[in-house]
Amino acid sequence: MTQLFSSISASVLVLIVLGLGIVGYVTMRSRAIASGGGDARNLHSLPSYYGANAAMMIAIPSLLVMVLWMLLQPMVIQNTVIKLIPDQMVSEGSSVGLVMSDVRRIADGLDAAVAQGAMSGQEAAGLDAVETDVRSRLAEVGVALGSDVQAPILAAAQKYRLLSQSWRAAMVAVVLVMALAGLGFAYRQTDKDFRARNVVEAGVKGLLIIAASLAILTTVGIVFSMLFESINFFRMHPWQDFFLGGSWAPNFRGNSDLSILPLLWGTLYISFIALLVAVPIGLFAAIYLSEYAGPKVRSAAKPLLEILAGIPTIVYGLFALLTVGPFLVNIFGRGDNGVLGVDWMSGATSVLTAGLVMGIMLIPFVSSLSDDIINAVPQSLRDGSYGLGATHSETVRQVILPAALPGIVGAILLAASRAIGETMIVVLGAGAIARFSGNPFEGMTTITTRIVSQLTGDTDFASAETLVAFALGLTLFVLTLALNVLALYIVRKYREQYE
Amino acid sequence: MKDSNISENDVITQPVKIAARNVQVYYGDNHAIKDVNVEIDDKTVTAFIGPSGCGKSTFLRCINRMNDTIDICRVTGDIEIDGEDIYDRKVDPVQLRAKVGMVFQKPNPFPKSIYDNVAYGPRIHGLARNKAELDDIVERALKRGAIWNEVKDRLNEPGTGLSGGQQQRLCIARAVATEPEVLLMDEPCSALDPIATAQVEELIDELRQNYSVVIVTHSMQQAARVSQKTAFFHLGHLVEFGDTDKIFTAPEDPRTESYITGRIG
Ligand SMILES: Nc1ncnc2c1ncn2[C@@H]1O[C@H](COP(=O)(O)OP(=O)(O)OP(=O)(O)O)[C@@H](O)[C@H]1O
Ligand SMILES: [Mg+2]
Repeated sequence: MTQLFSSISASVLVLIVLGLGIVGYVTMRSRAIASGGGDARNLHSLPSYYGANAAMMIAIPSLLVMVLWMLLQPMVIQNTVIKLIPDQMVSEGSSVGLVMSDVRRIADGLDAAVAQGAMSGQEAAGLDAVETDVRSRLAEVGVALGSDVQAPILAAAQKYRLLSQSWRAAMVAVVLVMALAGLGFAYRQTDKDFRARNVVEAGVKGLLIIAASLAILTTVGIVFSMLFESINFFRMHPWQDFFLGGSWAPNFRGNSDLSILPLLWGTLYISFIALLVAVPIGLFAAIYLSEYAGPKVRSAAKPLLEILAGIPTIVYGLFALLTVGPFLVNIFGRGDNGVLGVDWMSGATSVLTAGLVMGIMLIPFVSSLSDDIINAVPQSLRDGSYGLGATHSETVRQVILPAALPGIVGAILLAASRAIGETMIVVLGAGAIARFSGNPFEGMTTITTRIVSQLTGDTDFASAETLVAFALGLTLFVLTLALNVLALYIVRKYREQYE
Repeated sequence: MKDSNISENDVITQPVKIAARNVQVYYGDNHAIKDVNVEIDDKTVTAFIGPSGCGKSTFLRCINRMNDTIDICRVTGDIEIDGEDIYDRKVDPVQLRAKVGMVFQKPNPFPKSIYDNVAYGPRIHGLARNKAELDDIVERALKRGAIWNEVKDRLNEPGTGLSGGQQQRLCIARAVATEPEVLLMDEPCSALDPIATAQVEELIDELRQNYSVVIVTHSMQQAARVSQKTAFFHLGHLVEFGDTDKIFTAPEDPRTESYITGRIG
């Protein structure tokens, strides 16, 4: 029985439960009709509601339990298994996570060996690290291990296999029992006076609430994971340096200057230039498209702009690196002897390069949002203005834009928060030097690029140089959140005024 | 060319301000105004009456070319104001609308302060030389719109915060502030109480001293009270046009009679 149950995979289990749900739907639907004497008009609800009620009773609680179980099972097993491993093995320069991943790897290897018939179940459970060369046995079935297997780890892996199997079997049993219990419950309920319609209504509502709270919980989860790592960082590194220090100079031998301020400066400077490009062009494009362009132009131009919005940002980054950067060097620097004959810009990566390209990226963002907002201004306001003898542009400037302003401000702030969080363009276009400087022709770096560079390559999650990435990420998150809140506040304030 | 419906013994004392000949209006395939001929006198109040959907607003919007803003709308025929064809290519519709003001069927205050709503037209056309003059114009317009007393202490509050009837009067004040020669009013009293209605009717009577006023109304009493001429529209046709007294006492067309006695509409 345990063997059978533990061999049922999660997806098969889901299919079984759903199958039971369908069976429940069909049978309870006909049972309801029967209880009404064969005439659906005698029932409280339409017959399909009885069926849906049964399907709900069967599927929802059992699947919920299954999800929770699968989330909790690894933690429970890990807590039991870790006791088998002597403390000093964990503390010897590695973490619980690393040891556990070894354990899981060996357990998976044993599973694979058993599945391929290279080992019997008993043999796998009784292996001894001293007598057998586990590493080579597992290599035969295609599982490569990095080092020889130590006895406690092997024992833990065996325990892990055993526990996983019995827990899996228990889960299958519990889920099936719950599904059947749901069916029985629905059977008891189904009767011509039972208010199946109301129950289904409540069920639908519950489902929607679950979906909404999942979205919110994920956000909360993200924030918390960042928060914990950030707290770890601040244990190792003084917060005064992070928030108030003057330089960014990570040094993997420790004792680095890790201040966010130069990065923040770079981020804001580049975003500012991007908005300087994107807001006027995007807004004017939106005004042209929604107010002046004929239907033909509009139907051609809108999709074109939207294509711009669909280009992956890495492609913009390449554009910055290969086209815009050298072009700017030709104008402002000595590239091909320079157009202006000045020598302000030496490298292709600069604040201006990244800002320009990011601005281009944001144009469709600003224009399509503003276009929607301008289109939403009621025609009666335009009529009112024309009726007083105003010209087209007077109407746009004095009536339409003020009416659309809250929405436009919202659009701009959203664009700003995208600019602040943008990564690929600045990785390729802005350079990697952290500094305070007002010169747009110099390379500078941003928070996002530093997060990338601190987390790529050989990383050690116990050092401040790596963990600073989380503190940076959290600050970035707070920044964009504040921007969005501000956007909402402004929008609401204007709306109160004008509605 | 005189409209055949105008009665023979109609004594024209005022010069013709607006003359429409063979006007047709189409919304796509919908033929909304069919062959309308009418002459509207200067310094006169003309009422347009007729059942809902018969084309009163559509015809009114032809007179200041507001139909230009509707893509699917097509107008043919001639409309002349002071003998000048307003659909001529030389005519600038923007200039025309400064001369022919309009109060819309639905109140449409701008999302601006009450003051700025009224000052909008005068500012655009440069009617005031300084702030004091503009204040004057605004105050006078609001008084003529019979709303001054209600808003004089809140001129800086948004016009959209007013009640429906107040918004309607604000729009009237906004239209008269530009001193148009012709004022087109589309159901200007539809949301007003009897007192405000009486005040607006007084305004209309006062405007008649200098301007030509065209008013669309669903109230026979109002048409009878304020207008000297009345036009009855039905299904896109101008059925009957003549002196108000005559239309209401001895209509020639049976449809007119049915309508004013309450059998159509
Ligand atoms: N913007 C428009 N697009 C398409 N058709 C329109 C439009 N405006 C009006 N129409 C059509 O033109 C006809 C006349 O409408 P109009 O608004 O002139 O009627 P009305 O006499 O003013 O009616 P009411 O007394 O209800 O205001 C109607 O059949 C209407 O459907
Ligand atoms: Mg109308």
